Amino acid sequence: MTLRMDALRGSEEVRRLAAALASVAAGDREAMALLYRRTSAKLYGICLRVLGNEAEAEEVLQETYVTVWRKASAYDAGRASPVTWLAVMARNKAIDRLRGRRAPTEDIDAALDIADDAPLAPELIDRARDGHRLADCLAELEEKSAAAIRAAFLDGLSYPDLAAREAVPLPTMKSWIRRGLIRLRGCLER
Amino acid sequence: MSTRPPLNAEERDLLAAELAMGLLDGDERAEAESLAGRDHDFRAAVARWTAHLAPMLDEVDPVDPPAAAWSAIESRIAPTASNIRPSDPAPSNVVQLRRKMNLWRGYSVATTAIAASLALILVARPGPPPAPTVTPTLVAMMQSDAGPARLVATYDPASRRLIVAAAAGMAPAAGHAHELWLIPAAGGKPHPMGIVSAVAPNKMDVPMPMAGDVREGATFAISVEPPSGSPTGVPTGPVIARGKLTRA
Repeated sequence: MTLRMDALRGSEEVRRLAAALASVAAGDREAMALLYRRTSAKLYGICLRVLGNEAEAEEVLQETYVTVWRKASAYDAGRASPVTWLAVMARNKAIDRLRGRRAPTEDIDAALDIADDAPLAPELIDRARDGHRLADCLAELEEKSAAAIRAAFLDGLSYPDLAAREAVPLPTMKSWIRRGLIRLRGCLER
Repeated sequence: MSTRPPLNAEERDLLAAELAMGLLDGDERAEAESLAGRDHDFRAAVARWTAHLAPMLDEVDPVDPPAAAWSAIESRIAPTASNIRPSDPAPSNVVQLRRKMNLWRGYSVATTAIAASLALILVARPGPPPAPTVTPTLVAMMQSDAGPARLVATYDPASRRLIVAAAAGMAPAAGHAHELWLIPAAGGKPHPMGIVSAVAPNKMDVPMPMAGDVREGATFAISVEPPSGSPTGVPTGPVIARGKLTRA
């Protein structure tokens, strides 16, 4: 099954998955099975892309869903669609694995489960969730900046990885990415 | 690293982006994570960047995981002595609630799904065991005039925990919010109970003085309000659903 986050946004599927997450938070195994059936291919695809290794991707997939089982109550429908929340969790766990750390420190808490007194402006989230907008903004960047940002986010490459891959000094790579991020932020938040 | 001068606002935001992207490694990463752990604004910046960049994950093609993955997950989330939930002796009111929930099935598939998840929430919460027989769970099916149930409120007097779930299609229009009100059985001014989300079940703990009014015969109602709720403390917009609290 193909789960396109943008196609699902605001749809019945989002509600179903959000309801499943709420049931999972209450200890409902059937809801957990449904959630897994409908999202695991997407999450496994993400793990596989970052890790490039089936055995490791499967382990991280398992860790992700076990974490979902324990922390589903942290999901806040006001902040992210269920698939986005799950996808980011899988990606962060895969990156933790890649960086050689088996016990990540509060990756989800830091990334998505931010303190209740700092809600993101809803309009900001809505805009940020808009994949087309992100694609348009990435297209406005210098090619080398956009490519580096994409490789970092999708393939899990670190600064040294990217510098080695492009055969440029580390400070050069940092400035490509930072320049790109500043322009990206200007475009996304305008 | 530790001798680095303090970061200016721009550097901090870029560091938040780098952490969100996973670009950092080793000490740099540990430092940024420690900052996220203690600095609320920095944590919010990491979340904002994550939300900005997450749509990129749309591009990743799904791949079916090996069938063994689910079995492994299933066994890792299997009940253990410490997390047995549904097999605990179910208080009789929960059983009744479930039966009642079956009756609701006629309303709509979406409402039934919510009802089922509410039953599970009730079963799942550990709660003080002896209380339920003394203080039965109360349920209010909130609906528009003669319409199907649109929101379900479930209240457990023993824990003073209120759970409100909305049926599908109950999202407020842009720029508005749905606010929950309690109208005491004896009548009088509605008490504001907070904004309810249309998506996730809303869980709230009713504070003590007000909890006395959440009892059989009291009414819950939902009104349309500005995003931050009624500015006056009484409903200012139309009431779109209401329902009396009854024993489950």
